[in-house]
Amino acid sequence: MRPRWWWYAPVALLIAVALRQIVLTHIANLAPWSGGGFGMFASVDGWGNRHVAAFAIRSDVRRELEIPPPLREATRRLRAYPSEANAQALATALADQPTPDEGPLEAIEIQVWSTTYDPVTTAPSEGMLRSFRIPRVDP
Amino acid sequence: MSTPDATAPPTAPAARRPPAWLEDLDATDLSLRLTLLTLLLRPVGSPGIRVAILALATFGLTVPSRLRHPALWATLAALTSIRVLLDWSLADNHAYLLAYWCLAITLALLARDTGACLALNARLLIGWAFALAVLWKLVLSPDYLDGRFFRVTLLTDERFADFTRLAGGLATDELGALRAFVRGDLSIDAGAPGAFPERLLAVARLATFWTVGVEAAVAVAWLSPLGRGLSFARDVLLLAFCVTTYAVATIAGFGWLLLSMGIAQCDPHRGRTRVGYLAAFGVVLAYDGLPFMRWGLDWLR
Repeated sequence: MRPRWWWYAPVALLIAVALRQIVLTHIANLAPWSGGGFGMFASVDGWGNRHVAAFAIRSDVRRELEIPPPLREATRRLRAYPSEANAQALATALADQPTPDEGPLEAIEIQVWSTTYDPVTTAPSEGMLRSFRIPRVDP
Repeated sequence: MSTPDATAPPTAPAARRPPAWLEDLDATDLSLRLTLLTLLLRPVGSPGIRVAILALATFGLTVPSRLRHPALWATLAALTSIRVLLDWSLADNHAYLLAYWCLAITLALLARDTGACLALNARLLIGWAFALAVLWKLVLSPDYLDGRFFRVTLLTDERFADFTRLAGGLATDELGALRAFVRGDLSIDAGAPGAFPERLLAVARLATFWTVGVEAAVAVAWLSPLGRGLSFARDVLLLAFCVTTYAVATIAGFGWLLLSMGIAQCDPHRGRTRVGYLAAFGVVLAYDGLPFMRWGLDWLR
């Protein structure tokens, strides 16, 4: 029996999702391990090899924030896909975190860093993938 | 004295024919059962989705008359897809493949020729998944072919720890020092290339080229038209990949899924190959449940 066109739907979906993943890794720093492009075990640049730093900005003070464990999932998402929306979600969750500084919160700065390794020595070095400045929006 | 009947169809010598029970195993049923078993062995998704998938997989396995019911598989396809959509950037590659496969099973059960539709999907999904994996390793990744990926991963990924100690011949403190170095916690002379033990570098090189080599062979074999090119070797290559890879990389769920898919396209006359798939499923199960690497380390000690 000749295959019908709709028999190919699953593989068409697989290829379409994989092409989207390849594009996103190149234009939006999606981790190669993520997004269904079959890039797992191909690069050290997975979400596990990235980290996030967050800063509260009040007038002249820029203070690093500790990201609490309940925000681990949001942080993982941002590490895998450092998009504006994921940064915004984390910044919103961090906005009420107390700091010893005075004055109104102006913005939350979110940085996503990735570790790369020297091709010869394997020595690690850090590089910033993306940085976001999310202004505080009062409800 | 009787002579052979010249009009009778030729029969294969008895010794070369697989036993009848092997020929009776239906590839589609086996594939569906193994897929449900994979869902039971590695429950996936958030708690709500997980409970629903476990219930459906148990139902499908214990009520044979419902094993081929399209509604069962359409629901599983929907649940596995929702699981991926809810967390698309964190879902593993095999979460995606599982969703595509459940969709393929649903479509096959709605098709007039279920076996042909499922076999086609098995070949294409496995072939393309491996082709994309090879594309990443050979072309898109900046740190795979030069060995960096395995040099780092063998040290930092806890799932490889026992293998790294066993194959790399590393004592616990040596592994700890190298780990600290690649994590940037230690500024030592290990920065010089010679500080990485030669045996560990050789293991990383072997892992690098074996992995991409066998994946490329699987991709070519599974995407070759039937009866042409490397297609004759597709089962052997996939079985070799699963039996070697999942001994080291403890992601049994991916192995079980590939084997569940692979068995669906087994030629009905190749009963032994189907048994090969079942045996490989058992081998990956054993890798998952038994600490072979730890036993190896204890034996060496």
